[in-house]
Amino acid sequence: MNYIVLVKQVPDIKKIPEEAWDWEKGILKRGLLDNVCNELDKQAIAFAIAMRQVLQGQIVSLSMGPPFADAVLKYALSVGADTGVLLTDRKLGGADTAATAYPLAAAIRKIEKDIFNGNRDYIIISGMQSVDGDTAQVPPQVAEDLGIDHIAYATSFNIDKNNHLYIKRITRRGTQIVSPLTYPCMITVTNWTLHPNATFERTRWANSQRILRWSAADVTGDESRIGLAGSRTTVFKIFSPREVSTRKCIFESDLAKLAGLLKDAYLSKSKSISQETAKVTYQLPAGKNPTYTGEVWVFAEQEGCEINQASYELLGKARELATQINTKVGAVLVGLSNLKLQNSLISYGADKVYTITSDQLDDFQPVLYSRVFCELLDKYKPQMILFSATPLGRELAPRVAYRACSGLTADCTSLDIFDYKKGTQDYIAILKQTRPALGGNIMASIITQNSKVQMSTVRPGVMQALKPDEKRTGVIIKYEPALTEADITVKIISSEECPATSELKDAAIIVAGGGGCRTKEGFVNCVPPLADALGKFLGEKAMVGASRVAVELGFIDRSHQVGQTGQTVKPKLYVAVGISGAVQHISGMQNSGIVLAINKDPNANIFKTADFGIVGNFEELVPKLITILNS
Amino acid sequence: MDELKKIDVLFIGGGPANLAGAIKLKQLLNQKGINQSVVVIEKAEKIGQHHLSGAIFEAQVLNELLPGWQDDEEDKFVTKLLANRIIKDELYLLNSKNMAFRIPDFIIPASMHNKDAYSVSISELVNWLAGIAIKLGVEIYTGFAAKEIVVENNRVKGVKLGDKGLDKERHPLSNHVPGEIIEAKVTVLGEGSAGLLAEDVVNRFKLNAKKNPQIYSMGVKEIIKLPEENAFGANRVIHFLGFPLPSDIYGAGSIYSMRDNLVAVALVMALDWRYADLNPQQELQIFKSHSMIKNFLKGGEVVAYGAKTFPEGGFYSVPQLAADGVIIVGDAAGLTNAKKRKGLHYAIKSGIAAGEAIYQAIEKQDFTTQSLKKYHDILNESFVMKELYASRNYRQIFTRTGRLGYYLGAPLSFFQSWIPHRLSTKPGYEGMRSVQLKRQPAGGIDRLTAVNLSGTTHREDEPTHITFREACQNESCNKYFGCHPCASFCPAEVYKFEDDKLILSPSNCLHCQTCRLKCPRQLIKWEVPEGGDGPRYKIM
Repeated sequence: MNYIVLVKQVPDIKKIPEEAWDWEKGILKRGLLDNVCNELDKQAIAFAIAMRQVLQGQIVSLSMGPPFADAVLKYALSVGADTGVLLTDRKLGGADTAATAYPLAAAIRKIEKDIFNGNRDYIIISGMQSVDGDTAQVPPQVAEDLGIDHIAYATSFNIDKNNHLYIKRITRRGTQIVSPLTYPCMITVTNWTLHPNATFERTRWANSQRILRWSAADVTGDESRIGLAGSRTTVFKIFSPREVSTRKCIFESDLAKLAGLLKDAYLSKSKSISQETAKVTYQLPAGKNPTYTGEVWVFAEQEGCEINQASYELLGKARELATQINTKVGAVLVGLSNLKLQNSLISYGADKVYTITSDQLDDFQPVLYSRVFCELLDKYKPQMILFSATPLGRELAPRVAYRACSGLTADCTSLDIFDYKKGTQDYIAILKQTRPALGGNIMASIITQNSKVQMSTVRPGVMQALKPDEKRTGVIIKYEPALTEADITVKIISSEECPATSELKDAAIIVAGGGGCRTKEGFVNCVPPLADALGKFLGEKAMVGASRVAVELGFIDRSHQVGQTGQTVKPKLYVAVGISGAVQHISGMQNSGIVLAINKDPNANIFKTADFGIVGNFEELVPKLITILNS
Repeated sequence: MDELKKIDVLFIGGGPANLAGAIKLKQLLNQKGINQSVVVIEKAEKIGQHHLSGAIFEAQVLNELLPGWQDDEEDKFVTKLLANRIIKDELYLLNSKNMAFRIPDFIIPASMHNKDAYSVSISELVNWLAGIAIKLGVEIYTGFAAKEIVVENNRVKGVKLGDKGLDKERHPLSNHVPGEIIEAKVTVLGEGSAGLLAEDVVNRFKLNAKKNPQIYSMGVKEIIKLPEENAFGANRVIHFLGFPLPSDIYGAGSIYSMRDNLVAVALVMALDWRYADLNPQQELQIFKSHSMIKNFLKGGEVVAYGAKTFPEGGFYSVPQLAADGVIIVGDAAGLTNAKKRKGLHYAIKSGIAAGEAIYQAIEKQDFTTQSLKKYHDILNESFVMKELYASRNYRQIFTRTGRLGYYLGAPLSFFQSWIPHRLSTKPGYEGMRSVQLKRQPAGGIDRLTAVNLSGTTHREDEPTHITFREACQNESCNKYFGCHPCASFCPAEVYKFEDDKLILSPSNCLHCQTCRLKCPRQLIKWEVPEGGDGPRYKIM
């Protein structure tokens, strides 16, 4: 078995030098950021090295980027890769994911031919996503181009004595063990181990190796598919999400009143998104025709025998968009379909439900799903398709987009209809897709161009579902593709459901304690109980966080640390107990919705980042607050 | 592959001295077509990230290393450097928060003038040198920390690198890489100020017999971005004596103009200060609150922060710099001039001298002390040792003037060279007394915010690189000094006390080693952390 590891050089977003920000213009000067190897790609190299220990073979690392990107290939060599290939050409610059996937796929074919001598027993391994783009689109699109399977979110593997490969991966509902039935196949890995360290010896060897440099012409003759020309999305605006000094701390010593204020703020925060977008109305300019026509579609993702909540949220958004441009909303249901599911989609806002059914579609099969989806798309020609940015959605949408020769914007947090003029090109009634990038450090607004259809994945929990209306009626349109068992290329061995591991970074409410708690008892007696009480009070799950000092003092383990060397969180409510608010901590929680700070020092820095503040001794205040919240 | 760990000439530290040495050596070898491996290893993740200096640079020293360097108009670094020639050079005495007196040029010794030197970022300088070195065939590997010196049969055989991938209890993690031994015919130690390997070599081979102990200053520095319209202007350096430092601290403040409306604002102070609660980062904020400085910095934003120590014992503190298989250069050798407060050009000159001496040793295939002593000969003949000799008792004068400090020291120092014998020095930590400055907050930026601006980063779960020789009895420090000196003197808040309990934050460390040199009870042991960790200076 051979291996091709895709590695990417990315800006180091963990350490952005102050000089790199231009707050007035809202831009980040990327030239001033350090370049590093994408962390998950390092994990991908580790994955390949671990596989090679059992299955033998050679590892080729492949990257696309400017000439200095050979640093990441040298790193790959220094930890274990055998060969490095850099696809570098000015013509490749400015590419979106599709225009990146195309030449990468072409380079993979060339590696197969030139380096593996036509041997197709190889696995392509890559990090799930890169920290800069954070789209997770390139690997599935490469796989789509090569017509091969993609096993996403891999966390470990096992090889039996017949050398069959079993991959364990994360799904939305737990974990799954799958086995590829044909090669080559694509595996993308998530955080599964520590990144490999290089020895001096091997680093010196790597330094003596020549990196193969291929130009665009070396791998493809089709210049319309690469670089700017081949890109189907374009970023037209970048702005800063930093809310400088918009927070004004309200100090409230009456705890009962504070609880009320907190609840009001919390609920309005949850609602504000739908209210804001609901009031937007779009007017088609007189005498102009819309750039895209057709329905607005939503991919209805199933979870067990139910539609998942995120798909209902999409329907709510789709309804709003469709109304503005005067078209219908279609929901696409692949696999299991019954009257209950169809009716529920209609009640949440769909005008039509398209069902695609076949025995082979019961489980999610990326290759098949994208194929049948595109067949439907070709037949009914919608103008817009929304997917949830769930593991499945992020795997399927890129493949559909690539196959449909269309642009895709990942992980959107806001969608609007607007007109846009670029040079002589008028875009009328198109979709403005806004998403965070560079680890949330900037926001980018993106439009789709040179595409049949506008596609987005949408962050779950951002849009709001409509209240279901049982009286709504709609049309069911059935499609039954002819598939056979031979079309299945990944075998699902077993699935295990486990409650979603609650992660700090996804928590809606976080109560964090700092060094001000003074003792472990102080921390344990106050912080987790307050989290419980707040969770019950606001009807959502609350988790416990900690500052670096609290972790260092042994109050709680490091997995709870919020801040620069811990986790970056963005809950709807963040409560800081006895945290002074050093910049290292603030940088990890400043994007939180509402911040409540409890500190004995009225001048503590944390109050500058807080919406509500209580000055006083936490040992007295917190139990009182808990009692009030509980009643 | 074992062969890859055998090197002809190994330079420890990617600073100006070593890079100049590697360049000189490779130039000479290339001229004769001799193929020898010349390798530089550096503990920072990237070249320049652990480099901090004032810096005013007497660039003439480059003429010797890289003739015609000034003519490369395409080179961004050269253009930038040349544009930063110092035209205005001033010295002020600040004797209160609002008062400033200009000291006329004619009473300032000529060697202390800075006109026609260049204001430079040492991070950028070493990056430029590294680029030149690589083109010549020098191999540079970053992210590798040399932890121990390897000695066999009384000769230095190379170094042992630090482990990577250990957890806090030193258990190997899945990505553990044990520290390798790298062998070399000659090992050149250019680790910078207070280099641990250099110190070890000096002690093992007793290279400091009949010498003064090395003494140090430390400096804290901020890079501030000024608005387009500012009172400071370009091509200007100002040094400030006095405020905020009490007269018994040997130190000074400075503002240097750099490119793009950036200025370097720094405060340096000798480590023999008495005050148990002196917090250098805070002193820098107080310095910035002086009405004159404030006016210069109006509308400015701090974009970077860093700290370092530097040796200033001068001539009598420079040990023997060569032994079997080893040479010491630059700051690690103590080659700085306390009077000029400069060391950059000495570092480069010492590197050149080392390069020449090693080249001759390679020709003879003789790497003994006898052969490598040639380095000393070249250095002794150069301006470096001549200038150091000329100010051989300069720094010591100021350790003897007590509260009168500069007021007495400056005039007395005119006569230092007349003193026929060596004036001794005492290590800085001995100076600590039970007196406190008890400063009021002066605004500016707090220490943790500053640390953030240094970009420093260490893996949180790596073994701590700061340990204590014996259980640090905090209470006794508190009892004796009325406070915990390390909580104040560390420019990065590595040491913090909550109710007398020490909270150690090694991940804040800037690698300046002030703690090791200043701990009044000499309990702090500082070791080099995992390679790749530490500050991320870019324009320091």
